[in-house]
Amino acid sequence: MRRLQLRLLLAAAVALVALVGFAPHGLAQEGGGDEDGTGDLTHASEECIHLLEEGGVPEDCQEAPNPILPERNEIIWGAIGFAAVFLFVWRFGLPAIKKGMNARTERIRHDLDQAEAQRQEAESVLSEYRTQLAEAKGEAGRIIEEARQTADAMRRDLSASAEADIAELRRRAAADIESAKLQAIADLRGEVANLAIGAAERVVERNLDRDTSTQLVESFIAQVGSGR
Amino acid sequence: MLALEFPPLSHITNWPEFWGNDTYGINKVVLVYAAAALLTMLLFVLGSRKRLVPTGAQNLAEMSVEFIEDGIVMETMGEKGLKYTPLLISFFFFILFCNIFEIVPGIQMPGTARIALPMFLALLAYVIYHGAGIREHGPFGYLKHRLIPPGVPAALLVLIIPIEFIIAFVVTPFTHTVRLFANLLAGHILLVTFAVLSSALWVKNLSAVILPLPVLAVVAFTAFELLVSFLQAYVFTLLAGVYIGQAISHEH
Repeated sequence: MRRLQLRLLLAAAVALVALVGFAPHGLAQEGGGDEDGTGDLTHASEECIHLLEEGGVPEDCQEAPNPILPERNEIIWGAIGFAAVFLFVWRFGLPAIKKGMNARTERIRHDLDQAEAQRQEAESVLSEYRTQLAEAKGEAGRIIEEARQTADAMRRDLSASAEADIAELRRRAAADIESAKLQAIADLRGEVANLAIGAAERVVERNLDRDTSTQLVESFIAQVGSGR
Repeated sequence: MLALEFPPLSHITNWPEFWGNDTYGINKVVLVYAAAALLTMLLFVLGSRKRLVPTGAQNLAEMSVEFIEDGIVMETMGEKGLKYTPLLISFFFFILFCNIFEIVPGIQMPGTARIALPMFLALLAYVIYHGAGIREHGPFGYLKHRLIPPGVPAALLVLIIPIEFIIAFVVTPFTHTVRLFANLLAGHILLVTFAVLSSALWVKNLSAVILPLPVLAVVAFTAFELLVSFLQAYVFTLLAGVYIGQAISHEH
């Protein structure tokens, strides 16, 4: 229906434009009439003859009609043409265009509203994510702090334990050293006794019995030990 | 020297009927009216598509509607003038297409270079804006609104009232008519003048040397008349809006 309407209007417009284009040939008022004088009289010639018959002079033929006076047919057809245009624009043309424009405005408004709603939703989600991220960061900080405190405590414990171990080791080492020193002294005493006996035997060159020798040496050593 | 014979005015503006009688006869000017009416309808049919992004005729039609609605109706009458939009759109496009045939090759006759159409449209506008004023203010209220400016001393009213009456009720339809008619007639005569001169210079003698001048003038004035066609359609429509606006406003 719409396509047909378009075609009809287009055809009519083209036909009329073409008609208007061709209309001037032989229809416009050409001055002077036929050059050979044998053809039909033009409208201008008829008008001129009419003027001359009414007692006019040839110059009257060149006198233009008053352009201020409207032609009746042009008023009528102009009015009809304008009325057709007005009725068409009023009843169909303008409402159709306004409907299209309003529909577009409505659609754009709807799209904008939708975009605004989506933007607000996105902002809300973003805000939520930011909150969660901040919470996660806080939690991570807390965990790190706890780990740091735990590590410090462990370090302190290990340090104390190591110091205790070291002290124990030192103590043990000191005890071992003392024990070894006492043993060495005892061993040294025995050796010194033997050396002294041997020396004494050589000195006195007499053989004392063992028990007497031992008694003499120990006595000597005791003297020596007390003399240090 | 050139045997230049300029045709009388009747030969370039009067078109005999080739069908019918003096009352309903159809001549070239009537065909121009018909073509202008059909082109206006065609523009609105092609422009009533509902594409989201308008192109071509739809774009032109929508732009034109917005131009008239925002640029003329809202400026001259405000919101309450929107009901006159179809009338002003009809004025604008019908006159524009009638004017534009002035420069269409093969036709070259503006429908508005004959006084019938400008006179009819100006009288129609006259009836509409006075009718609108009477409806808005009542008969006596409207007369008072148009004839008695507020703040004028009573002694001056004897002088002012006739002047206002002549301006509002007598002169406007004539100026409204003549502004459109005379501009288009003058443009048409101008184009014919230079075309006739160009034609007369199409000779095998020395005079042909100056032929390019009138030819260039025809081209330049054709472009100028395109502007005039648009401008006069706009001015006529704008004035119709202004007159209606004056009639229905509550300020003097």
